[in-house]
Amino acid sequence: MTPFDIGLVALLVMGLLVLAGLHVPIALMVCSFVGVWLMRDNAELAARLLGLAANDAIGSYFFGVVPLFVLMGFIVSEAGFGRDAFDVAAAMFRRLKGGLGVGTVGANAIFAAITGISIASAAVFTKIAVPQMRRHGYTPRFAVGVVAGSSVLGMMIPPSLLLILFGILAEQSIGDLFIAGIGPGLLLAVFFSFGIVAMAILAPASIGNVDTQGGAGLSGRDYLAKGGPIAGLILLVLGGIYTGLFTPVEAGAMGAIGALALGFAMRRLSLAALWRVLVETGLVTATVCFLIIAAQMYSRMLALSGVPAGMGSFAAEAQLGFWGLMLIYCAVVIVLGMILDSSSIMLILVPLMLPVITPMDIDLVWFGIVTVLAVEIGLLTPPFGISVYVIKATLDDPSITLGDIFAGAAPFALMMLVVLGLVLAFPWIATGLIP
Amino acid sequence: MSGEAARRDPVPLRVLDAVTQGLNVVGSGLILLLMVLVGVDVAGRNLAGAPVAGVPELVTLSIVAIVFLQIPAALRAGRLTRSDALLTALGRRLPGLAKALESLFDLAGIAVVGVIVYASWPMFLRAWTRGDFVGAVGSFTAPTWPVKLTLIVGAGVLILQFAARIWRRHA
Repeated sequence: MTPFDIGLVALLVMGLLVLAGLHVPIALMVCSFVGVWLMRDNAELAARLLGLAANDAIGSYFFGVVPLFVLMGFIVSEAGFGRDAFDVAAAMFRRLKGGLGVGTVGANAIFAAITGISIASAAVFTKIAVPQMRRHGYTPRFAVGVVAGSSVLGMMIPPSLLLILFGILAEQSIGDLFIAGIGPGLLLAVFFSFGIVAMAILAPASIGNVDTQGGAGLSGRDYLAKGGPIAGLILLVLGGIYTGLFTPVEAGAMGAIGALALGFAMRRLSLAALWRVLVETGLVTATVCFLIIAAQMYSRMLALSGVPAGMGSFAAEAQLGFWGLMLIYCAVVIVLGMILDSSSIMLILVPLMLPVITPMDIDLVWFGIVTVLAVEIGLLTPPFGISVYVIKATLDDPSITLGDIFAGAAPFALMMLVVLGLVLAFPWIATGLIP
Repeated sequence: MSGEAARRDPVPLRVLDAVTQGLNVVGSGLILLLMVLVGVDVAGRNLAGAPVAGVPELVTLSIVAIVFLQIPAALRAGRLTRSDALLTALGRRLPGLAKALESLFDLAGIAVVGVIVYASWPMFLRAWTRGDFVGAVGSFTAPTWPVKLTLIVGAGVLILQFAARIWRRHA
């Protein structure tokens, strides 16, 4: 077998192992090790490749800040800023039909500007928004669907861990990627809001027997007390990035410090809570970074086999054209999203795709936004929608099944598909803001 | 790591879990330190007009340590990424086969992390004997061997946690 054949077989075996239930990083490592061993007929060399990747793959400043972005998200949730965002947004939209649903979307959009991970949003708003919506007569299925759907805003609206990951993989400016995420993120929020109002008017049974009084309003002072700290944090994080006080990479640390200071000043954080958050951050970081290490081994193995370059020339000869290629790519990402988590998909596919699309003169920042959008649709689709599992675990209510959450999230997955189509057709939605 | 389950575990497994948690605590502390370091760097640059020497080097070094300190705890908590739909379905029909497959998967984990330890050992020795460091002489330097040692210790405990999964399954 030529190295190219071995690379293809390794790809196939990796997919089968992952489907069968082997831990994803272990599957990647096993295939890389055996693949290189067979290609070079040298086990020692294959071992050295694994060892080098374990030691160097994440040894860079960019990866160093991954835990800080995760930490920022968890501190902000623990300090109750998610509840504040929800109170403000729910009061603002309380006169709309389906107002609490729209409020949840709005709160998620605000929250997304101070966190960079979807699972933080999903966990926070399951605890805050779902009970509120159910109290006001919304069906559980609709309530969890709204939370699942709008949690994806966390990854689209900057700062965003997935966009950082893409920036590292494709060697693109993270600042540009952050700016490019704003347009599609806001568009998603608008689509979700209109979708909810449309559902409330056209198919009221689908959202439940909602009482017309959408909860009490807030006084001007309440708005200030609840909205002020969040607005301050958003100003600190986004303002700091765009005035150049700190880099996007440092924003995670600054946001975490800001949230920590506010949380302690407002007596909303205890040392015990901080410790719990730190341990949780550690577990998430380790899981993501271990996966990155494994994916680096795998992409080094693939590079040795020549498969990515081969796929590039194959795509060129097949004359798929821009649209054919992008449609196939998005379909593959969405299908993978049904069985894998977002970072795994990006780490596996992006190195394969880069040699294919680079000669086509495609804007890589735009390509990153398309990738993250498509990946996030997978978060909502069975059987492996990570957001859905987080919601299920946070709810801890056996009367709401996984099936209910997936069904509730389905309309939002459809709306995301529409937004994805729009970003594909009109790249300026993403790239228009970049100077 | 529920207390109930831990109490019923045999002594070696309880010791292993305690060690795993110890590494987890050190790793969590490092994350806090990382946050402070980046904060000090930004403050130093904007307020004092001078970046703090060595912050990028320390951040770069510590992330590798953090990951390998926490990964055994992640495996123990069932957080390592996987898609277990098929295994769960198989477990309902043929529980014996599902168990065997799970253990085979854990053995694969032991083997491949073992390869990493095997390949990392000479890297640690070289860093130790030659006194490898990062940074620039005169302003800031930090030795690289502690990180390489942490990697080996973390990966070692990860191997033991994979073995513990097999033990628990078949005990």
